[in-house]
Amino acid sequence: MPSLTEPSVIPRRTVKSDTRSRDQFAPTYYVVCWNDPVNFMVYVTHVFMKIFGWERQKAQKHMMEVHEKGKSVLVREGAEKAEFYVQQLQGYKLQATMEPAE
Amino acid sequence: MKLAKQTKRGFQYELDGEDAESLRFLVRQFPISVFSPANISKTDSGSKSEEREKLINESLLAHRMELKRKARQLVMREKFKTSDGKQFYRISLPARETMLQILNDIRVESWRILGEPEDPEASVFRLTGDKFKYYHFMRLAGYFEYHFLNLDEERG
Repeated sequence: MPSLTEPSVIPRRTVKSDTRSRDQFAPTYYVVCWNDPVNFMVYVTHVFMKIFGWERQKAQKHMMEVHEKGKSVLVREGAEKAEFYVQQLQGYKLQATMEPAE
Repeated sequence: MKLAKQTKRGFQYELDGEDAESLRFLVRQFPISVFSPANISKTDSGSKSEEREKLINESLLAHRMELKRKARQLVMREKFKTSDGKQFYRISLPARETMLQILNDIRVESWRILGEPEDPEASVFRLTGDKFKYYHFMRLAGYFEYHFLNLDEERG
């Protein structure tokens, strides 16, 4: 037991500084493209390349996923950016939605 | 219709008279239907989602109005040049994107008017009158999309 004369050092409470920005707590959304029988596969690939700036190979991979599985999750983004992508995709007449990620 | 020349700024296509007339005719039909609001989520149904959907649809409607304005300009007579008995159509890269959006809007809306068939080709023999017109629009828009994506060139 320490004597009273001994200087006592009260350990300082360490508070972990939270470096995460507010955006990291904001809800995120999956931007999903759905299959339909009217849009050409090459057109869908072209649109993915234009909107997301993807290489042809990546765009084709997602296009094939839409074609074979009925849908493809294209990106996961915050609300504002997801809205932007959905609007862009719908502007090209692709069936795109944003679904809550959690 | 075929790609005649490609530069950093855009493309020049060679068309015969029939293709040129068909392109002018088709693009002038835009839009072929009234704007129908899009659903922007299949699982999110909260008030925030409704508000978001409303704003996106307002924006899509404004975009469509802008496409309508641009459609007229895209197929003005001056855009088609005749040289050595051939017709040429020149289009910049951004204008080609606009053209693709217009053509695909015509294609998708025609398909909707036809009842969104799973196999649009299979139902052609049962179509009559006005429905056949939209089948023709859908096919024609697809034909021009194909060429504006330069797919004949990629196949080499």
